[in-house]
Amino acid sequence: MREAFIAVFGRPEGIMLFQLVEAAQFTVYLSLIAFLLGGSVAACITLLRILPNRWAPRVATGYIWAFQSAPLLMLLFLFGLGVPRLLGTDIDPWVAASVALMLYTSAYLADVWRGAVETIPPGQWEGARALGMRFLPTLRLVVLPQVVRVALAPTVGFMVQIIKGTSLAYIIGFHDIMAIGKRWANAPVEGTEPFVVYPIMALIYFALCFPLSRLALRLEARLGSVGGPPRAAVA
Amino acid sequence: MDLRFFEIYRNPEYLALLAEGAAMSAALTITAGLMGLALATLLATARFHAVPVLGHLAAAYVEFIRNTPLIVQLFFVAFGLPQLLGYSWPFWGHALLALTLNFSAYFSEILRAGFTTVAQGQYEAARALGLRPFTIFRKIVLPQSVQRMFPSLSSQFIFLFLTTGIIAEIGVRDLTQAGMFIDSRTFRSFEVFLTLTAIYVVMSLAFKTALALAHRRLFPAVAAR
Repeated sequence: MREAFIAVFGRPEGIMLFQLVEAAQFTVYLSLIAFLLGGSVAACITLLRILPNRWAPRVATGYIWAFQSAPLLMLLFLFGLGVPRLLGTDIDPWVAASVALMLYTSAYLADVWRGAVETIPPGQWEGARALGMRFLPTLRLVVLPQVVRVALAPTVGFMVQIIKGTSLAYIIGFHDIMAIGKRWANAPVEGTEPFVVYPIMALIYFALCFPLSRLALRLEARLGSVGGPPRAAVA
Repeated sequence: MDLRFFEIYRNPEYLALLAEGAAMSAALTITAGLMGLALATLLATARFHAVPVLGHLAAAYVEFIRNTPLIVQLFFVAFGLPQLLGYSWPFWGHALLALTLNFSAYFSEILRAGFTTVAQGQYEAARALGLRPFTIFRKIVLPQSVQRMFPSLSSQFIFLFLTTGIIAEIGVRDLTQAGMFIDSRTFRSFEVFLTLTAIYVVMSLAFKTALALAHRRLFPAVAAR
């Protein structure tokens, strides 16, 4: 692969391009980890939020508020620098970045999914209860199939925010497109000046994000979405 | 494991740094927000009226900004452009330009959605009254769009504010930079960044309150509803 890149683009551009594309896989892995972990936590938080209980919804609301209000950069600093110093141990950048992005993702997804659940008229809950269905069967058989429809588009749309969010992880030592690209941009090598490297990096991110944005738009057109314009936006 | 928040708040030098950083962050975000809104109005108009060439350019620009990370845009504006075009600005100038470009793309999408809420009949009525296109836009379309989209614009602004911390990476002495400096002096990373998080949260709450007040002042009729 590396040779093919060098053969086509020459040195040092070929080497740089190869390293950037190679590093893009870590961006993808980290995004997937953040999405899967964050999605699981978000499912639990959403469940807490709609539980017919006095305290559970408040805890969920507090969680969503706290991690939506905290800047992602601060979460990364807290788990990448703060917690290791506090505990006096090293934390792998993979772990720190995953935890920070998981918290960030879970808060936003839980908020989106809560909005989706609230599109279900209370009459359906009451109707199911009148038929003798308990909370969980109602959720699984009546509410979820309808919720998935409207939640799908904003969830896919949020994956774009996750991918863009991973670009901050280099600050705590994670090796991704940003880390490699920054090294090339700072190196005094002709052909890899900042005005060459950063547009190429932008194109790689664009190639990852744009298809997802388009998919989200098409899903929204076909299945509908939880109301309002896109709320979440992150660097 | 012991927490020593007092190492931060008992040191007047650190408190002053944090205050200056917060002021810098707020000033840059507000300026970039206003300039971004102005640029967004142009972008949204070009797209909404499908202006030949410009409309497509605006669409491509918005999609590109929205689908790439702010930090890459920031580094390109701060390190790439000056080298390419041979100019040198202070750090905050680069940050202001990058934030303005970034904000404008997000705002323009909201404004464009706002333009579509103005009923077709209003255009026809305005044209029947002999108003010029620019007057229609300025007096009829824009006020109603901004009015309807004010809540969305406000929350978008606050979300964008929370992303501005990375301008510290190009050397701007903002709130994050102040925190990084204090961290390098005290090695109390956890306490420092937790404090910083709290300051960001308080600042976004302050912005939220200020914007809600502005909404009530600018559009008394709607806010009362």
